[in-house]
Amino acid sequence: MKKKLLTMVLAGAMAVSMMAGCGSSSSGSDSSSSDATASTDASASSDSSDSSTASANVASEGDKELSVYAWDENFNIPALKAAEAAYQKKDPDFKLNIITQGQSSDVEDAVTLAGSAGDYSTLPDIVLFQDHYINQYVTNYPDAWVSVDDANVNWDDFSQEKLSYSTISGTHYGFPVDNGTAIFAYRTDLLEQAGYTIDDVTGVTWEKWIQIGKDVYDKTGKYLMAMDGDGNDLPYMMLQAEGVSQFKDGKPNFVNNEAMVQIMGVIRDAVQNNALLLCTDWSDYTDKAIQGDQVAGVMNGNWIIPTIEQVAENSGKWEITTMPTLSGAEGYAANGGSSLYITAACQKTDLAKDFLAYTFGGGDGAQETYDNALTNGGVISTWAKAADSDVYQQGVAYFNNQPIYAKIVEMGTHVSPVEQSDYHYPTRTDIATAIHNVIDNGADITAELQTAEDDINFQMGN
Amino acid sequence: MKKSSRGLTLQAKQKAAGWVFLTPATALICIMSFWPIIQAFIMSMKTGSSANMKWNSPLFNNYARMWQDKIFMKTVGNTFLYLIIQVPIMLILAILLAQLLNNKDLKFRGLFRTMVFLPCATSLVSYSLIFKSLFARDGLVNAILLKLGIVSNYVDFLGNETWAKVILIIALIWRWTGYNMVFYLAGLQNIEYSVYEAAKIDGASGWKTFWHITVPLLRPTIVMTFIMSINGTLQLFDESMNLTKGGPANSTMTMSHYIYNNSFGQGVANFGYASALSFFIFILVAILAFINLKVGDTRD
Repeated sequence: MKKKLLTMVLAGAMAVSMMAGCGSSSSGSDSSSSDATASTDASASSDSSDSSTASANVASEGDKELSVYAWDENFNIPALKAAEAAYQKKDPDFKLNIITQGQSSDVEDAVTLAGSAGDYSTLPDIVLFQDHYINQYVTNYPDAWVSVDDANVNWDDFSQEKLSYSTISGTHYGFPVDNGTAIFAYRTDLLEQAGYTIDDVTGVTWEKWIQIGKDVYDKTGKYLMAMDGDGNDLPYMMLQAEGVSQFKDGKPNFVNNEAMVQIMGVIRDAVQNNALLLCTDWSDYTDKAIQGDQVAGVMNGNWIIPTIEQVAENSGKWEITTMPTLSGAEGYAANGGSSLYITAACQKTDLAKDFLAYTFGGGDGAQETYDNALTNGGVISTWAKAADSDVYQQGVAYFNNQPIYAKIVEMGTHVSPVEQSDYHYPTRTDIATAIHNVIDNGADITAELQTAEDDINFQMGN
Repeated sequence: MKKSSRGLTLQAKQKAAGWVFLTPATALICIMSFWPIIQAFIMSMKTGSSANMKWNSPLFNNYARMWQDKIFMKTVGNTFLYLIIQVPIMLILAILLAQLLNNKDLKFRGLFRTMVFLPCATSLVSYSLIFKSLFARDGLVNAILLKLGIVSNYVDFLGNETWAKVILIIALIWRWTGYNMVFYLAGLQNIEYSVYEAAKIDGASGWKTFWHITVPLLRPTIVMTFIMSINGTLQLFDESMNLTKGGPANSTMTMSHYIYNNSFGQGVANFGYASALSFFIFILVAILAFINLKVGDTRD
């Protein structure tokens, strides 16, 4: 009998210890949450020994401490450090706990996870979030975000196009960080070899541009533009330069969108005339096409500049200008970028709002924040006043001493806001498929656009 | 309590002990596997974002929807294409290699066996990335082809629908042949050498020995590798995700990759629909495994 009881107890103990195994390891990381890496996986709910019910990383913070998720050590993290330093002048006790994520999608997954579990306390106080995704996430997880309408910010000082992402149904949720204004950078030396100057590619029609691209390829063997054929941002940017959206009243607008049909034709012609190289994927685009010195021009959001600058021997040979358009007017567009959002996990929303308004929101610390963000991380602001600073007015040696930062901010003010949609990325995928079929299989543009439109309608449930 | 347990017969006591030993494992598998499966089934009847899921109306709308989903049907087609082409090639190669490496007179047998099995030791992600760089626009394969003058301009292997599929299949064969070979080698060890001797005395050729002795005696192993390969191929994910990202134009995307895209990729977070798709695969695997077992069943 005693033996049997012992067996029972042992078996029970084994089962319990196996279960507890999962719990104890997470409580271990809870206790060491001051460590940045540990606190990222301390998302398991805190155990009862913890006095607060919130997750470790938010709950264990001091009164003047905020945590934030960001992902790029060379780009947005220096910007956040600049903001922390600027706010510390106002409040020396302030501390910003920057938790580095591997990539932007980790932040999105963290929100998805917290939303699915119905427990937002696992999030940090603030997250950096991609502009093209935020619309969808506010729709899907409305409780995860905090309105910042009452923050002390003069919203008119920012690019309206940038704000159109973080303003959902008229409510401000985010503070803009970087600037996604599209640039078209050209190798002036290669243009010259083909008999052109940068003025010849400024304010031209796409038709003329393709001819120039053909000449450049014939003379130099380099493409005038490259793009990731898989995650193809070209149609979006080219349409925005026309002031047209891929969506109309919340529905996809592809087939009956004259500009879109024409742009598909332009992309096809550009590829067939060797003016445009569609790469296999993103790393093929950045590592091989751009850094492998296979291109004479690059068009994308200005965050592509650090990639261009990797090729040291081409310093001084680049210049930037605006995009071509269908009509030949100078084109302005934006692509990518991110903003800072306060999450539902934040218990010090007043502090968070004040910090963000004071720094990124154009408060007293904004000039310092944006100057250092540019110097240390290459982050260009959408705050109109930032361009007045000396740092922005300086010429950049790599770009033939052109003051590109001031120019980009100026270009950003011309970008027209277009209708945004939750389905930006599914659309990008479907249009990339259409382009692929048109170029490789000779498919009909209208038929392919119809297929893409049907699929987006299907996904939306229309 | 004491009285009643003392009253148990020896058999009852043994039975009770058996249940006690079974309980921890049963409890764990129920909590860790069966409960999530039931949850997923419930979720597959819901719609909306994961924070605020509502019952679908009609209840099985997600299941009805997948039949109209052209991309999903395309991924089903892709997966079956891999299945039909890759699995037979791989298993035939594996059985031939096993036969070769089972030869008692072969020198360096251990070395060759290790070499064939070695790809299985690489992680799915790393081997996908290696194949990706091999077949990149300026990868090794293109460099060789250009140098030898076989092609005049690089071939965009991963940017071409047909080539991308071919490369995915080559990668799969490279990765999994050795794995299946090990099972066949083990199966071959169990075949008495005297059977082969008898065949030799009867004057059977090598091919006849293989076809009439090795294959029938290996049948249980072949059935098992078939089921495992079918199951593995239907759930193929890493290669599609890492080697081609499902592209170009969704031409290499597998069902599992599409499920991932519907739950985490592209920020869609359509967990209800993704769960329904998972059950589609679940049923497919069950049906195919059932057919396989029936075909391979030797008891009759």
